[in-house]
Amino acid sequence: MIARALILVARAWQIGPSAVMPPTCRYQPSCSAYAIEALRRYGAARGSWLAAKRIARCHPWGGHGYDPVP
Amino acid sequence: MTEDNKNFVLFAVVAALILFGWPLIQNRFFPTANPPVTKIEGGKTEVVQGKAAATADAPGAIRDRNLVIGESPRVKIDTPTLQGSINLKGARIDDLVLKNYKDTIAKDSAPVRLLSPAGTTDAYFAAFGWRDDGLAPPAAETVWTASSPVLAPGKPVTLTAANAKGQRFQIELSVDKDYMFTVKQTVANGGQAPVPVATYGLVNRAGVSKDPDSWTIHTGPMSVANGSANYSPNFKDVDAAPQKFTTTGGWLGFTDKYWLTALLPDQARSFDGQFRAGNAKTYQADYTAAPQLLPPGRQITQTARFFAGAKEVKLLDRYTDKEGATKLDYAIDWGWFRLVEKPIFYYLDWLFRMIGNFGVAIILLTFTIRALVFPIAQRQYASMAHMRAIQPKMKAIQERYKDDKPRQQQEIMALYKSEKVNPLAGCLPTLLQIPIFYALYKVLMLTIEMRHQPFVAWIKDLSAPDPLTPLNLFGLLNFTPPHFLAIGVIPIILGISMYFQFKLNPTPMDETQKQVFALMPWVLMFVMAPFAVGLQVYWITSNIITIIQQRLLYARHPALLEAPAK
Repeated sequence: MIARALILVARAWQIGPSAVMPPTCRYQPSCSAYAIEALRRYGAARGSWLAAKRIARCHPWGGHGYDPVP
Repeated sequence: MTEDNKNFVLFAVVAALILFGWPLIQNRFFPTANPPVTKIEGGKTEVVQGKAAATADAPGAIRDRNLVIGESPRVKIDTPTLQGSINLKGARIDDLVLKNYKDTIAKDSAPVRLLSPAGTTDAYFAAFGWRDDGLAPPAAETVWTASSPVLAPGKPVTLTAANAKGQRFQIELSVDKDYMFTVKQTVANGGQAPVPVATYGLVNRAGVSKDPDSWTIHTGPMSVANGSANYSPNFKDVDAAPQKFTTTGGWLGFTDKYWLTALLPDQARSFDGQFRAGNAKTYQADYTAAPQLLPPGRQITQTARFFAGAKEVKLLDRYTDKEGATKLDYAIDWGWFRLVEKPIFYYLDWLFRMIGNFGVAIILLTFTIRALVFPIAQRQYASMAHMRAIQPKMKAIQERYKDDKPRQQQEIMALYKSEKVNPLAGCLPTLLQIPIFYALYKVLMLTIEMRHQPFVAWIKDLSAPDPLTPLNLFGLLNFTPPHFLAIGVIPIILGISMYFQFKLNPTPMDETQKQVFALMPWVLMFVMAPFAVGLQVYWITSNIITIIQQRLLYARHPALLEAPAK
C-alpha cells in the first residue's frame, strides 16, 4: 500500500518536473524508473532504501552507466 | 490509443490544471508579487492610487484625523525617520508617519502612516501604564504634564501625573534615530501603605492587516516567546479566543509585510503577553510585567521598549545583535530558508549600494551564481551537445532493441563509451538552482529594501509584475484585459528566451516528451507572468547566459553540430 503510494510519487515526478528538465541522467535506468522497479520488487522499506542510495550516487563525481535494480 | 497519445493527453490535462488551477493555489501559498504601483493607460504610465480615503459616511464614528489630533494637548515627535506626536491624554503614541517611505511611487505621495489616533481611519496606537490592583494609576482620560514640547533623538521627554493617594507617576520617553522608543515607567510611593506595581504596554489596531496572511509570509499578530518566534495566531484565531503566553525575554506586536509594531518589555524579567479582539474589529496586543510590592517612601522604575517602523533587515539585525532585542530580526518572515535567503539579500543589497539599481544588481547576482557553477555547467553542456550529435545512432539502437529494454539501455551505454560521451552531471546541479530561485522570490516579496525599486523604462517596481502588456497595445487602447491573459512584455521575453534555450538541448527521443518540451516555455511564460519582474529578470539573464555558453561551445567544437537533431 505504502509502496504503491510511493510509486505514484515517482510517476508524478516523471510526468511533472522531470519532463520539463533537460535530460540529465547519468544512469540507466533513470532514478525514478529504478525507484519504481525497486519498490515493486522489494516493497516500501527496502525499495525506498535502494532508491535513496541510488539518488545519493547520482552527482557529478559519482558513477554512471548501466545500473539496474539488484 | 497508443501509449504516446495517452501520455500526451495526460500531460495536456496536467498542463491545463497547472495553468488554471495555479492562480487559485498561488494566492494562498505563493503570493506572486507586490501589487502593481503603475498601470499603463492611454500610452502613459500612471501611478496606481492607494486605498481610497474614507468617505464621509464611513460606518462608526470615524472622524477626520487632523481634527482628532487637534483636540488634545500633544508632544511632537521629530526624528530623521519619524514624524508625529504623543497624545498627552492617556499618554498614547498614536500619531506616527515614516518619513522615508511613501504610499505610492508618485513624487508628491504622502509618507506611510503607521499610527493613527483612536476614532480615525486605520486607528493604530500604543500606550503604556500601570495595572489597577489597588494602585489607582492615572486613567485613560488623564492629561499628563510634559517636560518638553518635542521628542527627538537625545532629547527625552518626561510625562508626569499623580493620583489622590500620594503616588507620583512618571513616563520618560526617548527615541533613537531609527524606530525604537524607550519607555521608562517610574512610580514613587508618597502614600502611607505599600502598593502593588505592575506595568503594562499595549498596541491596539482597528481592523486586520492590509497585507494578506499567506503560507509564505505571515502578517498579523506575532510574538517571540520562550526563545522561539511565533508566526501564529492569526487574526481569526484571536477573534475566536484571546491568545495568552508567559515568557522571559521576547516581544509581541503586529506585523504587516513591511511595517511592524512591537512591544519589548524588560528582556530580563518575566511577563504575560496576550492578543485579544475588542469591539468593532479592533485587535490588541498587550503585556503585563510581574507585579512588585512598593513600600512607602520608595520608588521603582521599569523599562520597556517599543518598535514602530519599517522592517529594514540591517536595522532589525542591529537591534537583535547589539541592543538585546530577543529575535526581533524574526519579524521578517524569512521562513525555514533564512540561511540561504539572508546571504543572498546581503549580497544583493551590497551590489545595489555599489550600482544604485536593483535590476542591475539582480543581473549581477545571476552572473555571480553562474560563474560559481560554470565548470559543472560547462561539462554538462558539452555532454549534452555530444548526445545531440549521436542521437541518430541512439535512435537506431532504440529501434533495434524495441522489445528488450535492458538490452537497449546496455547498448546505449556501450555507445556512450565508444563515442566518448561524458556522463551527464545528474539532476543535482539543476535542482540546486531551485533554492536560489526560491530565496530570490522571498527576498523580492519580503524585504522593504526591494519595495518601489525601479529598473529601466516602464519598470518602476521590481517587486511587482510587469504592467506593460501588448494585449491592449501597450496601454494605447483604453481597456484593462483580463488579469490572466494580460501578460507583460518581460514575461514574453522570458518565454522567448526559454524557447531558444530549450532548442539547444538534445531533443528527447520520446514523442510525448518532445511535445512537452515544445509547449513548456509557453506554459511557464503564463505561470511566471504574475510574479515579480525581478524574478523574471533573474531567469531571463540565466537563460541568456546558458544560450551564450552553449553557442560558444558549439563554435569551438563544430563537430558537435555535424549531426543536428531533427
